[in-house]
Amino acid sequence: MYQFLVETAWLIPCYALLGALLSILWLPSITRRTGPRPAGYVNTCTTLLAVLHSVALLPLTWHQPPQEFFYPWLQVANLNLTLPVEVSSLTVGALILINGLNLLAQFYAIGYMEMDWGWARFFALLALFEAGLSGLVLCNSLFFSYVILEILTLGTYLLIGFWFNQSLVVTGARDAFLTKRVGDLFLLMGVIALLPLAGTWNFTELAVWAQTAQVDPNVAALIGLALIAGPMGKCAQFPLHLWLDEAMEGPLPSTILRNSVVVASGAWVLVKLQPVLALSPITLTALVVIGATTAIGGTLIAIAQIDTKRALSYLVSAYMGLVFIAVGTQHDEAALLLVLTHAVAIALLVMSVGGVIWNSITQNLTQHGGLWSRRPVSGFSFLVGAAGLIAVPPLGGFWALLQLADGLWDDHQFGLLGVLGLVNGLTAFGLTRVFSLMFGGKPSAMTERSPEIHWPMALPMAVLLGFVLHLPLILQSLSLLPDWVIVNYPVALGLIGSSLLGCSISAFIYLGNVVPKPVKLPSPALQDFLAYDLYTAKLYKISFVLAVDLVSRFTSWCDRYVVDGIVNLVGISSIFGGEGLKYSTSGQSQFYALTILVGLSCLGVWLGWPFLSHLSLSAIATTGP
Amino acid sequence: MQLQYFLILAAALFCIGIYGLINSRNAVRVLMSIELMLNAVNLNLMAFSNYLDPQTIKGQVFTVFVITIAAAEAAVGLAIVLAIYRNRDTVDMEQFNLLKW
Repeated sequence: MYQFLVETAWLIPCYALLGALLSILWLPSITRRTGPRPAGYVNTCTTLLAVLHSVALLPLTWHQPPQEFFYPWLQVANLNLTLPVEVSSLTVGALILINGLNLLAQFYAIGYMEMDWGWARFFALLALFEAGLSGLVLCNSLFFSYVILEILTLGTYLLIGFWFNQSLVVTGARDAFLTKRVGDLFLLMGVIALLPLAGTWNFTELAVWAQTAQVDPNVAALIGLALIAGPMGKCAQFPLHLWLDEAMEGPLPSTILRNSVVVASGAWVLVKLQPVLALSPITLTALVVIGATTAIGGTLIAIAQIDTKRALSYLVSAYMGLVFIAVGTQHDEAALLLVLTHAVAIALLVMSVGGVIWNSITQNLTQHGGLWSRRPVSGFSFLVGAAGLIAVPPLGGFWALLQLADGLWDDHQFGLLGVLGLVNGLTAFGLTRVFSLMFGGKPSAMTERSPEIHWPMALPMAVLLGFVLHLPLILQSLSLLPDWVIVNYPVALGLIGSSLLGCSISAFIYLGNVVPKPVKLPSPALQDFLAYDLYTAKLYKISFVLAVDLVSRFTSWCDRYVVDGIVNLVGISSIFGGEGLKYSTSGQSQFYALTILVGLSCLGVWLGWPFLSHLSLSAIATTGP
Repeated sequence: MQLQYFLILAAALFCIGIYGLINSRNAVRVLMSIELMLNAVNLNLMAFSNYLDPQTIKGQVFTVFVITIAAAEAAVGLAIVLAIYRNRDTVDMEQFNLLKW
């Protein structure tokens, strides 16, 4: 029985796929009378099934060696594509996280999407994501990871473009698809270039190969850079981060998933690829630089946002940047722990602000305020989510950040340690700012009468709240946390200090009356620079978009006028030839006679040329009489 | 070498005929030019039969036939000219360009 559960682990993605297929039944064009709600219920049930299955797997795989099952997919010539499914405590943990968050998000969506008709489409796509992510963590092959990442890119496009009658949604979905696609295509280059070197796409075998591999450093660096380009797009790292901002146009329940687990899909691949990336120090440096830039940039931009969802989305980029730093400095455990704590905390934060948006309508932070007394559950959830994200002991974020900081301390990477402290402080500042603007201060016109959310949204939020609170206990019972005795106290105190500093400065500015609101920086240019996301949209527009646009206009012009023109010229010249040459038929019989004579004389000259060429005027003269 | 002079004269006559054939506006003058060309041919035939074949004089026989045919041709040609003239009231070759492109 136990072995049966393990062997059928591949069913977990299939539950969600089944739900996605069943949802189609309730498309408004198929079920015309009774509404789309059963689609949501069916999907919640299939997700629950997946959660139960994965939870049942956890005790079976704990302290057990990973089991791997192989399913042949395609065999052609020398290429043997086998789908390896790895069932280990790590993958099962990831499955629980993914399916658990999905369950909560779907429950939340049942409340949030109350007034919407598109449940079938929405829940089918959520289920597609659940299946894709479950499949991603289960499959132990770089090739199949790439396949799933691409499917998820398409899923992102469709899910962001859910309310496609809004123009910003259409552009947002477009940007999300193209940006992630570019990263994925670079990843494909790396994936393909890796096969002749390593001879395998299996992550385990890749790790074994990387231990003894002798690769030209330039080749290793190029492959490594291509391999991080995919996760770079997925994790919304600089400079491929604009899509996540624009993806906030999509429905909020999907945002819960996107911010918590979907962006982490890139981090998962990155962690799995770490042994290969470690072949090249250039790649590792690039990872750290990208991660640090994104982390600092993301937190700074998040502080300058006035849109609630965007103020959180840039924090997602920043935390994924920390994961990049962790992988770049080869602290895989810290990276995975960071992904876990970040996922639950940010999901709680998004749920909390989603509830506020749901019945305060506006997403503009400057129009929120004074909700604490009337929205205690949402407010408390936000507080716990924020505390779970930044370094506040004893919650999860503290342990993840501490583990990373500890590793950096041991490596004597004090610059990165500073970056970590700075990002933590800035995140604390940003989250406290959002909290203060939303829940503190006086009620504004938009939040004057703002009731607490109803139970389908409150319940998953409360459950997740409990989960965030219990996360350290769970981790401790699984003996994943260090003892208090061996904690590096200077580092821990530094992290706590940066959190406290960030929170207290932010609270002083936004809750106190000393600083006039809205807050103005001494330099308005800098404030605009951060608020407009470093003008990334303009940067894209004047660089890549412009270049591709010009090149495509030019090739289109070439195609239309040069290539088509040459072929049309042949036709046109035939037509004009016929039109012009018909005038040779003049209708004058005398002209015909002339033509005959000219033709005959030409023929005569041609035929008689051998004789005529010997002839000369002088010869005629000498042979004359 | 008398033959060459005959041949040159005949060629000149033929060319004059050609010039008349393609340059005349009057249809009757075209027929006259054709007669000139035929006579140039006859001159050739006579010259050849005289200088190269004085025994069997086949050229003279040819000439007799050509004269006969030329007469018939001229008759038919004039008949055609008359038939056109009846319809179009003119013998100007420039007016006969109906069958063009």
